[in-house]
Amino acid sequence: MKKVLTLLFVISIVASCSSSDNGPDTTDNFDRSAMLVNWADNIIVPSYQAYKGELDELKTKSDGFIASPSVATLNELRTAWQEAYKKWQHVSMFEIGRAEALTLRNFTNIFPADASEIDQNIAQGNYNLTLPSTNDEQGFPALDYLLNGIASDDASIVNALNTTNHKNYLNDVVTRLRDLGTEVLNDWTTTYRDTFVNNNGSSASSAVNKLVNDFMFYYEKSLRAGKIGIPAGVFSNNTFNEKVEAFYKGDFSKALFLEALNAAQNFFNGKHYSSSTTGQSLKSYLDFLNTIKEGTDLSQLINNQFNGSRTSATNLENSFSQQVTTNNTLMLQTYDQLQMNVVLMKVDMFQALSIQVDFVDADGD
Amino acid sequence: MQIEKVKIWTLAMLSLVAVSSCDNDDNKPSVEAPATYSFMRDGQSTVSFSGQTARIQMATELIGEMKDFDNATLITALEMFRNETANGGDANPFASAELNASTKSVRSKTAASRDFFSTNVTEATAIKQDFENWITAQINEVFPNENTAAAAGTAGQIADGSSTRYISAKGLEYNQAVNKGLIGALMLDQMLNNYLGTAVLNEASNRADNDAGTVASGKTYTTMEHKWDEAYGYLFGTSVNPTNPVSEIGNEDAFLNKYLGRVEGDSDFAGIAQKVFDAFKLGRAAIVARDYTVRDEQAVVLRDLLSQVIAIRAVYYLQQGKNGLSQNPPAYGQAFHDLSEGFGFVYSLRFTRNPQTGASYFTKSEVDGFINSLVGNGNGFWDLTSATLDQISNSIAAKFDFTVAQAGS
Repeated sequence: MKKVLTLLFVISIVASCSSSDNGPDTTDNFDRSAMLVNWADNIIVPSYQAYKGELDELKTKSDGFIASPSVATLNELRTAWQEAYKKWQHVSMFEIGRAEALTLRNFTNIFPADASEIDQNIAQGNYNLTLPSTNDEQGFPALDYLLNGIASDDASIVNALNTTNHKNYLNDVVTRLRDLGTEVLNDWTTTYRDTFVNNNGSSASSAVNKLVNDFMFYYEKSLRAGKIGIPAGVFSNNTFNEKVEAFYKGDFSKALFLEALNAAQNFFNGKHYSSSTTGQSLKSYLDFLNTIKEGTDLSQLINNQFNGSRTSATNLENSFSQQVTTNNTLMLQTYDQLQMNVVLMKVDMFQALSIQVDFVDADGD
Repeated sequence: MQIEKVKIWTLAMLSLVAVSSCDNDDNKPSVEAPATYSFMRDGQSTVSFSGQTARIQMATELIGEMKDFDNATLITALEMFRNETANGGDANPFASAELNASTKSVRSKTAASRDFFSTNVTEATAIKQDFENWITAQINEVFPNENTAAAAGTAGQIADGSSTRYISAKGLEYNQAVNKGLIGALMLDQMLNNYLGTAVLNEASNRADNDAGTVASGKTYTTMEHKWDEAYGYLFGTSVNPTNPVSEIGNEDAFLNKYLGRVEGDSDFAGIAQKVFDAFKLGRAAIVARDYTVRDEQAVVLRDLLSQVIAIRAVYYLQQGKNGLSQNPPAYGQAFHDLSEGFGFVYSLRFTRNPQTGASYFTKSEVDGFINSLVGNGNGFWDLTSATLDQISNSIAAKFDFTVAQAGS
């Protein structure tokens, strides 16, 4: 009797003190390793493989155009560019490991491209695409300019590109794009996959905490702001019809946005690349913790919000450049839908998973 | 057995003591506010709100520009709102070199709070556009009629006692719409719905940093301390004595400070300025003491009191306008001036914050309805009736504890 009471006494002290003093509890029984394995083996690596496949195709078609410039080979090259650009939307969010070291996104998809710098590079034949200052002179946006914007119609574009300097620049941009993507894939398939999967703790530098932050950063900066918010003038006094993705192609910005939105939602749900199978994911993690917000599963709310963003975007024209000019309110409405998921994920999900946000919008006075 | 019982009771009591001694809320010493809004760390002040001061000054120049018939242009007036050229380039529209050098602008913080507008840029953009429309209309509609007598349907000038007012074809002074509208859309919104909200105060590692006394990079303050000060700055940012500003309340700017002063001057509400100041002071002291319960309680007080200020002044001016229109003959100039101020305060109702619900006291459609009643019919103010003004006044006062009569005089 006495021992039992003493024990109760001790327990009551421990229990009454532990919750308030220790801060958020960062250990739960969710199998983070299984989630990392699913991410690496079923999503990230297969996505990079698909991306790399399209980059190889892009290089082939670029070689074909350079060997024999014509409207026909130009169109083949454009198709390869579009396919690779779509696949890029599936890997852009994974800026971790070698991709982070290379700043892959900055060298792949900074838009708008700086057309006058590109023209100058071509004219002078003297440029160094590894310099950070050249990140808007290469990648998919630079190819967009070369293949769709350098002259007014297809025949003139073929003509314009049919100089040694233009061909060299085209080849350099395509080759660098392919090499960067290949380098990241090779790192995953040789060493980084195990490093990533084994870093299965819950500290700020653990793979889960880092990648979730990378995902969130991507969602906010690239998906929400880059594709929608910036052209819609959310952060400025004016709208910018030229700051859309694939500006010169014109009718392709919506397709890229939807591709990216799907990829982000698939990642959230742990959906295997190009398959309907799902594995351990942020969704299953939240469900494991039984995270409820206002009576509904948080994972459901987040999926609803992804779906809401997609529904809102269906009203948009294929060309966001057109959209911000004709009816920007629809762009703003899509932005609002996207932003609502920032709140659900960055606040509620991060809190539920005890993950600290490692970046902040520098927006104060 | 007897001894055993005593021991059991002792253990039980000890357990209770142990439980209560670990309870965060009950056991902390209550936060004590200093006499003035003065907070130090290592001998240096930790209070900073220069960005708010700059925006109040920019807004001040903007409303001055809207009445500068000889010099203002659409370009200069819009540049003062945006602090940017029409093409997004650097603009230098201000008299103050310091403001010209600033990258801040009034527009970027208009309807821009985290809590109300981060997921509603659709409405935020429309609100920003309202301000640009009023600025544009002042230059394009009112300026050309500077020397025309105003009449129903005709913009121009009208006498208000010995003053001359410049009104739109519907009787509205656009400069008043901008001036009083900014009190809600800029000052109130940033204070109540941004800086005093937990989304901003507790963002990222703010709480852990404040708990640890970790200051922002290169600064003397923790980020949380600074956020609170930024709210303070929208009310006291141009005060001559910002650590102890209550005695000069109302004399410091043409925005929230001025109208908190006006409400203070109404005997029905005397003491409100001190209450606002005390809540700011105690909330800031609570941050220093890491007592976030007390901090958030003060945010509730501020949301309550400052929302009231807007509502009281809205009702006041609508009632004054009614009195002017009721004279025989109607004192149109005087009434329209009051109604123009009232229009801006009514517009500002959208940015109030009901501490109970966390939302505005007024939905967008309620405020849109008031605005439409004021200027949406026929010739606007020229066609307004006392019944309409009473109706709006009653709808506003019904949300608060004051009466139309208390606010209206």
